[in-house]
Amino acid sequence: MKLVWVHGITCCGNTHSFLNYEYLDSLLKKIDILYHPSLSVEEGNVLDAILEEKIKLDVLIVEGAVSKEDEKVKKLCHLADFVVAVGNCACYGNIPALTKADVGGLQFRFKIKGGLLGEDFVSRGGYPVINLSGCPAHPDWIVGVLLSLYNGEKLELDQWNRPKTFYSSLTHWGCTRNEYFEWKVEMEKLGSKKGCLFYYFGCRGPMTYSSCNRILWNAVSSKTRAGTPCFGCTEFDFPRIGLFETKLFAGLPVELPIGVSKRGYIMLAGIAKTFAPERLKLED
Amino acid sequence: MRIEKKVLLRVEGHAQLELEWEDGVIVDARVRALDSRGIEKVLEGRPLMDAMVITPRVCGICGHAHLMASVKAVENLLGWVEIPEKAKIVREITLSLERIQNHIKWFYLFLMPDFIRLGENLPDLEPYRGFTWKRAIYVSSEVAKAIALFSGQWPHSSYAVPGGITSYPDNYQVNLALQIIEKVKDFFLEKMVGMKRDEYEKIEKLGLWERLKGDIGIFIELTLEHGLDNKGKSYNRMLTSNYVIPFPSEKKILPIEYSKIQVHSNSLYSETNIVRYKGLPYETGPLARMCLSEDQIIRKLFRNYGSTFVSRVLARVLEIWKLLLEVEKHLNSLLSIIDEPSCVDLINKVNKLSGENIGVVEASRGTLIHKVKAEKGRIVEYRIITPSMWNIGPRCKKFLGVTEKAMLGIDNPIHAEMVLKSFDVCSVCTVR
Repeated sequence: MKLVWVHGITCCGNTHSFLNYEYLDSLLKKIDILYHPSLSVEEGNVLDAILEEKIKLDVLIVEGAVSKEDEKVKKLCHLADFVVAVGNCACYGNIPALTKADVGGLQFRFKIKGGLLGEDFVSRGGYPVINLSGCPAHPDWIVGVLLSLYNGEKLELDQWNRPKTFYSSLTHWGCTRNEYFEWKVEMEKLGSKKGCLFYYFGCRGPMTYSSCNRILWNAVSSKTRAGTPCFGCTEFDFPRIGLFETKLFAGLPVELPIGVSKRGYIMLAGIAKTFAPERLKLED
Repeated sequence: MRIEKKVLLRVEGHAQLELEWEDGVIVDARVRALDSRGIEKVLEGRPLMDAMVITPRVCGICGHAHLMASVKAVENLLGWVEIPEKAKIVREITLSLERIQNHIKWFYLFLMPDFIRLGENLPDLEPYRGFTWKRAIYVSSEVAKAIALFSGQWPHSSYAVPGGITSYPDNYQVNLALQIIEKVKDFFLEKMVGMKRDEYEKIEKLGLWERLKGDIGIFIELTLEHGLDNKGKSYNRMLTSNYVIPFPSEKKILPIEYSKIQVHSNSLYSETNIVRYKGLPYETGPLARMCLSEDQIIRKLFRNYGSTFVSRVLARVLEIWKLLLEVEKHLNSLLSIIDEPSCVDLINKVNKLSGENIGVVEASRGTLIHKVKAEKGRIVEYRIITPSMWNIGPRCKKFLGVTEKAMLGIDNPIHAEMVLKSFDVCSVCTVR
């Protein structure tokens, strides 16, 4: 499988995330990286050969936000069997798009469909741009999709064109603080071993789709496991304003976990708080 | 006269090198950093705490350094803050680890493959195929894992906050990190310098850099063979977060005065600001740091070569060993204070904070400065002076930029790119 990786406007964080993949050696037996701007010795006219259709491109990975005038990336997208947007910049525009109106993602600009390629774009292989959101995307998401494409597996995508394998569960799943969340024992100050980050520290775990806490980062941890709130970096509205804050109204979080009603939250929170086990409340 | 423009591969971000040739020699050079992402502007109007999430996104390879600079800027703005010793040490550990993975990747992924372009046969170092190339990536990812033990993830963590850190490492994390360090030390000794520890330390003590073996030995051999060693001479004025070496010909070391740093945004051809210290261009990075240390190899190199290709490269790769020992020492000292708290609660104070201050750290590429101005907890203005602004930033009316100066007189375009890379260019960090 022939792959080309190109950069838009990027911090290269997804490249470095990808380089953390544990079995790079095994991957490179299956995938032939024709070009990557941070890794290849020379471009060697690979991109020109693809544009002239002398080389058939199986997968194009785009990292970084793209300007509306980026004709080269546009052309490459039309020539590749599959197009994968890696990271929130390539998916939604992210930080670079915040200050520039002509910059966005490949097929979205924040939540608006369109982007560089337009709402109706479908690559030669029959998929829209496969979005791997995240700031950065997890290496296992990138490699997972590449392996599925390599094996010819069918990818199921969600409404943001993200593979459901990685984006159908909440970041909340697998969070080691779930018991605190259930019993409404809140973290009072940062750096505490105990307590949930949802109520005071803006944790977006229950409103964000990602498998961060199921598969872990660098194979050992995650933001919430390190006591840092989830900032919702796999969603189109990252980075929201007030990243360490939970907006409260009359003591109730303005945004509740996905699918939870206000009434349900109030009732359950009341009961949970009343009966919360003491062991959860004690700081050790 | 011929003008050649080239977008560089294997650097962080996008940079274009524009060279002016006359009679086969470079007579003028410009470095353009290409894409601006408007990070400073994005921060304006946001709560100060948002900086801990947004500034790491300046750079995919040194995001941690940006996080620490933001944290320090806010802590300095708070005035006197007592940070738990544990938090201080953990911050030092992760910052040093980030520098280690950067240096390994830079040497193997960015720099060494250029020798293949010069016609050398280096199958082990060939991208995607070479055994050592893949091994270097694996070892770097192990270092990233050691960072994540404390920071939750790498890249792009926000685990350091004003007042301390959010994580609460215990013996498990510390001991696991020590195991990783042991592995990286082996890699450095076996692969990078190709000798046992006592032999390396003897060479280090006596400054006998020509005797290094391993991949660094290969580098030295090829550098001398291609006559690259004394290429890329710059101003010899060095700057770190504590001291400056202001006179090219003297060894005099002076403390840095931050008020004497000037930034201009009037470059005609680059998205990068012009930065000067007392009106003069300065170089920052591992060479500057190592010149100020007692390192005999670098001192000897600096004495004989000044700031050139070979001294810059060796300062960066040999810093790996020093950082490894430092991290090891810190990890061991952490074990005795592991029960200390991780953080003091300052968030309410931060949310009301007004004033102006700076945060300074030594990042992989040199001195990194964040300048923040806040009004009632909101960011009014945020300015970042990155190491690459010093090193690859554009010319002013009087002086060429540091890299521009280093390019003059080079007679081979690949050599020119390698000299540029010896500064460990990070254009993603550089643009305003």
